[in-house]
Amino acid sequence: MKIQNDGQKLCVSEIPELSAVNSDQFRDDVQAAMPSSLNVIEIDLSQTRFVDSCGLGALFALYKSAGHNGAVALRLLNPTPPIQQLFELTQMHQLFEIVRR
Amino acid sequence: MGESANREGLGASSRVAFPCNLADARSGVRSLREFLSGVGVGEDELFAYELCLVEACNNAVQNADAAGQNQPVLAEVSCQPDRVELRVTDHTPGFTWPDRLEVPSLERERGRGLFIIRSMMDEVAYERGSAENTLIMRKGRGPRDPAPVAAPSRPSPPPDALDDVRAQLADCRRAINGMARELCFRSESLSAIFRCAAELGRTSDLAAFARRLLDDLLHLTSADWFVLRLIPPQESQLVVFAASNPALGSASLALPVSAGRTTPAPPGAEAASETGLPVPCAELAAVMARNAVRFDTGSSPDSNEPLRSAGASSRGLVQPVLFGDTLVGTLAIGRGATEEVFSGLEAEVIRTFSEFLAIQIVNLRQREEQVHNRLVTHELEIAHSIQRSLIPASLPRISGFDLAGSWESARQVGGDFYDAIALSEHTVLLVVGDVMGKGVPAAMFATIMRGLVRALSNHCHQPAELLGRINQVLYRDLSAVNMFITAQLVFVDHRRRRVVTAGAGHCPLTLISKGAEPIASLTTAGTPLGVLPDVRYRQTTATLGRPGGVFLHTDGLIEARNAAGEFYGHDRLMKWLRDHCRLPCPAEHLRNQLAAELHRFRGDAPMADDQAFLILTETQPAKRIRNGSGTRVGLRSPALAASL
Repeated sequence: MKIQNDGQKLCVSEIPELSAVNSDQFRDDVQAAMPSSLNVIEIDLSQTRFVDSCGLGALFALYKSAGHNGAVALRLLNPTPPIQQLFELTQMHQLFEIVRR
Repeated sequence: MGESANREGLGASSRVAFPCNLADARSGVRSLREFLSGVGVGEDELFAYELCLVEACNNAVQNADAAGQNQPVLAEVSCQPDRVELRVTDHTPGFTWPDRLEVPSLERERGRGLFIIRSMMDEVAYERGSAENTLIMRKGRGPRDPAPVAAPSRPSPPPDALDDVRAQLADCRRAINGMARELCFRSESLSAIFRCAAELGRTSDLAAFARRLLDDLLHLTSADWFVLRLIPPQESQLVVFAASNPALGSASLALPVSAGRTTPAPPGAEAASETGLPVPCAELAAVMARNAVRFDTGSSPDSNEPLRSAGASSRGLVQPVLFGDTLVGTLAIGRGATEEVFSGLEAEVIRTFSEFLAIQIVNLRQREEQVHNRLVTHELEIAHSIQRSLIPASLPRISGFDLAGSWESARQVGGDFYDAIALSEHTVLLVVGDVMGKGVPAAMFATIMRGLVRALSNHCHQPAELLGRINQVLYRDLSAVNMFITAQLVFVDHRRRRVVTAGAGHCPLTLISKGAEPIASLTTAGTPLGVLPDVRYRQTTATLGRPGGVFLHTDGLIEARNAAGEFYGHDRLMKWLRDHCRLPCPAEHLRNQLAAELHRFRGDAPMADDQAFLILTETQPAKRIRNGSGTRVGLRSPALAASL
């Protein structure tokens, strides 16, 4: 996993999967890297092959902590079709800004 | 981590057992995904299978109790041309699969696993066992049933078009073969059911029928043994009714109090281990879950598990036998532990057989009940007609006296009777008796008793002696069937104005006379007939009033109840006699009045017991005794007549 911080934007990428095995670690790492002057978090899911309900839970936790830091947008980039459908099935696509580039 | 794969036959299956932790669960599921991919399951389907397996395995790991954490979790996939079946076997206390699963609230960080499984699979079943539980997830395959998470288009075709066609052809062949096999299996099941149904039409031997049907089921499902338990009518326990091997029979299992309910228990109510109660055996677990429960006697160290009699390591499932919502019994069916667990199709056939069996059992029980009811009605009719024949068509005519009797039978026929026998010109023997019992046996004993009195009255000199002789003759037969008879014998000699009486546990005799106190009770306590082998009865002698009379009755009169449940009672009867016996008067008149009085008292209340009474009243000075037709009666009992 790669985390880039330019002071206002946090970019997380190279996430092979978000599952019960790594989702807590993922959440803690991203939360630890959040700068105080954060505007947006971009999570690049283009290389993510698998997300389970724990992975969804970690994304939700980030959404909450980002919100508490003050109106920070959580943006998910390029999820694969099955993962996009999982967001829709659980209606979590309503929480995140899902962007295709 | 143990893995095994099987590609024999039409389907392919693989299983993996892994230690109870999330990382091993993840890699176990990855290997199953690779297996599915290897047998040709497309990328478009794989995500759903992988996700559902991961969710199920995570649940199995995260909910394992202290003992379960030391046991492996088992995950299996079985890939058929037309469907994929996933199974995850856990060692958790288990849970009740919710009837409905809503989209989880967006506010929740956790708790989306079951919803995802239910949404992505076509069919989900959670089979709870005493030692382990299995989550079974199935999903149909094929162009008409695309996976919801599948991408709209199939992956790009193989480069070579011919290979593509070949692959499609092989797919079709597998699908057709799979369908043919399933069709064959189902048709075999149906023909077994029809065969057994036809046999049941010829016999009513339910046990033989059940054994035959379940032997067919063993054959169809390649199982080794079965144990069928049924709940006998009016009982609340499971009793072994049929088993493939007599050695499998074990003690009855008392049903839990909640087992008779008709609605499913609330979620969580059945997780016995959560409440600290002992884990129930597999058969009771199936009763409580109202669903099939899998068991593995090898993984259950509890030696109280009755199914361990099938072998220390045997596994299979227990199917509750249900008729609609009514629990009829349980069917346990199993194989050796080295063999495959029952497939979904086999479990379905087991359920179908048990449903069929439940219908047959309930039908047969209803038929038996109808036959029994018809027999009871018929027996009552016989008893009524026997008893009617006991009541004398006419009573002896006694000069200067009038004799009248009444007998009324309750619906449940008892054994009341009365009789009057002229012994000489001036003596008459009056008898009232009550056989303690109901139906034909009571009526039969009443018949025997009446015949004995008539036969022995020729040879006995005293009423007490006559009772003693009757007791000697009847004791063996009466005590053998726990019945007894109460009776009152009265010898009336109107010429010498004497009444001699002896009783066998019967109501007191009432003497009627004219004067300030016209009614007097004459208690003659004695042991009922048939209680002791050798009884010496006592007799009492009294003077017959001028004018005089006697009144004998059975306890049905004083135990008659009105609608308020009040007894008619001895005092009320005595008061009635005191008010109405104005001698001299005809007995028939008194008989009719008393019968009307008893009807009036009872009102609409049902008659609980037979009622019989006999009245002798003096109408004019006696000259001689005549029989019912008015002809002169010869001395029936010279010995007795002489003794008076």
